[in-house]
Formats: sequence, C-alpha cells, structure tokens
Amino acid sequence: MAALALLPAAGEAIYFRDKISWRSAIPPSESVTVEQAHAWGENAIWIDARPDDEFARDHVPGALSLNEDRWNELLPQFLAVWSPGKKIVVYCSSLSCNASREVARRLRKEAQLPDVLVLEGGWEAWLKQR
Amino acid sequence: MKTPIFAFILSIIACLSARAELKWEQTAVELHPAATDKQAVGHFKYQNTGKTPVHFKSVHPSCGCTTAQTQKELVQPGDKGEITATFNIGDRTGTQIKTVTVETDEAANQKTVLTLKAVIPQQLDISPAFVFWKQGEKPDPKQISVKVGKDFTVKHIKVTSSTPNFQTKVEDTGKGEFKIDVTPQDTNKLVASMLTIQPEDSQKTFYATARITNAPVAPVAPVVPGGPTAPARPTAPTDQTH
Repeated sequence: MAALALLPAAGEAIYFRDKISWRSAIPPSESVTVEQAHAWGENAIWIDARPDDEFARDHVPGALSLNEDRWNELLPQFLAVWSPGKKIVVYCSSLSCNASREVARRLRKEAQLPDVLVLEGGWEAWLKQR
Repeated sequence: MKTPIFAFILSIIACLSARAELKWEQTAVELHPAATDKQAVGHFKYQNTGKTPVHFKSVHPSCGCTTAQTQKELVQPGDKGEITATFNIGDRTGTQIKTVTVETDEAANQKTVLTLKAVIPQQLDISPAFVFWKQGEKPDPKQISVKVGKDFTVKHIKVTSSTPNFQTKVEDTGKGEFKIDVTPQDTNKLVASMLTIQPEDSQKTFYATARITNAPVAPVAPVVPGGPTAPARPTAPTDQTH
C-alpha cells in the first residue's frame, strides 16, 4: 500500500524534474562550456557568483566576484572593467545552484549588457579542466 | 501451534504500524518583507504523529544565503517543534524562492522539501543601471528610466554623480516615473562615475553607473605609397544603444 501511495509522487518527481528553476536546462544561447570560454582568452571576463567566502577560498584566476549579497557594491567594480565586445562568463557551484543564472539575468536586464553566458557545469566543471 | 503463528503475524502487523511520522503544518511559506528588511524568516512547524521517535539526519538549505535551524535533533512521539529558515536578502530583488531539504530517519518519507518564497518589494526599478559612451563617441545625453514600485509613492528623487565628469538632469514624467538624462563633459578620457539615486523620505539608496569605455579597435586600411589613399573602412555599428 505504501509503495502504491508513492507512485503519484514518483510520477510528479519525474515529470516536474525540469521545472525546478535550478534544474531547468539553460538555453544554449545563454550558456557556454569551459572549452569555449577558454578559447575566448582575454576577450572573456569571468564572474564568480558564489558567496564571498567561497570566492575567497578559490576561484578562476582573474575572475571578479559579483553576487547578490553585495550586488550594489560589486556591480560598479565589474562595470569599471567591462568594455564593448567582451564576453561575460558567469559561474557558481553546479550543485543546486541558481546564483549564476540570477546574476546573468540581472546583468542582461538591469545593466543591459550583451554576451552574458552561464558556464555549463559551473565551478566544478572548471576544476575538472584545470 | 496456531498461537505462535498468530502471535508472530500480530507482531509483524504491530511493527508495520509502529512507524515514525512527521506531519508538517505547512511545507511552503510566503513572506513579504519590508523594503528595508535584511532578512526574511520562515517557520515550518511539525509534529511527530507516529509511535517512534524521529531523528533529523540533515537540514540542507538550497543556497548560502539561507540558514536553517532545528529546535531539536530528536522528536519524540507526540512532540511538536519547528524548523526556522532565515533568508538573508542582501541586494536581491523581486520574488525569491529558497528551499530547505530535511532528511529524517522515517521509513516512508525520508526527505521533505520546505519552500520559502519571499516577495521583496522594489521601491524603484532603474533601467538601465549602466550607461556608457565609447571613447571618442559624441557626448549626447543618454537616458535612465526610474519607475516607482506599485506599493510605493515617491514624489521626488535626487541624483548625484560621484565625479564632475557627468551631468544629470531629472524629469518627472508623472504616473510614477522619472527620467534621468546623463551627459558626459566629453568622451576623450576613460572615466567612470557612480550615480546615486535617492528617493525623497527614503532610507534606501539606489545606484547606476556612467562610464566612458574603450572603443573597440577598428581595422585600418593599408596605405599604398604614391597612390591615392584607400578610404578607411567604416566602424561596424554595435547594438549598444541605451
């Protein structure tokens, strides 16, 4: 009886697995792989959307910290180094993390910047390639 | 012979029914913090309606911006308690959804996802938050739109530039909207300024950025000695219009 009762829940879990925002697939036009981002070289600005303590522990060399905890303070620092033509690569931890998508969304909407992309696989994907 | 078998069957039934069960008053909470609040706190109440204790194995928030506290690690049958989820708002805006995954040693339902939805009121919506001119570009004014949130009344805003390189002029269009015209003195030097936008009678301050950026390097046509100079290729237009 207990197993039967679990069937509807299991069905919903499978059906709605992509509806949870941080598990939904990112459109290809808004994401980039580590390999692609590396190929851009100095034409890319890396943005770390993780909390301050995680950034301080380790981050992509040259990346700038830009998180929603201190958005108002950190955004001008990022805008000071951006220039037209640069690609913006935003990453966070890949484990249940929505931070990079939110930061990317705000850069597109609020700062109206083009070429803002989320790193597929996040920080963990970059670590594997390091 | 029948008695031991009967007793055995009864004991199995007793074991199956003597299970732990945590009942939640609600697993989703919606909060409406004030514009100046730093945190939004959700309380998720539960009761152990089963016959055996329930042990919390882990309580895991979905992000570093949220912390969760249990009142107790072990919940005895009949006991009540709550998990408090504290969401640190920071500089977030709009509707935020954060979850806390609770894992217990219940046989039937080991994981429960508690959802905290916080609707953060936004006094001003500034668009764009960044205006820029390429070096050498004509220093025409660019406009920032400031819309007042529907739950707010703002009659006046004050805009100041952190450097004298940019001038600002505010126009009240009525209907809860302001327009800020930003004009650089010139676009020769690579300068930046933080624009502080202060609504009247408000503790909260908003910001925008104005900047002169590097111009992308345009390709230059080769010069042929002794012959007419080839016309320079025009710079490709960008979609950076504000």
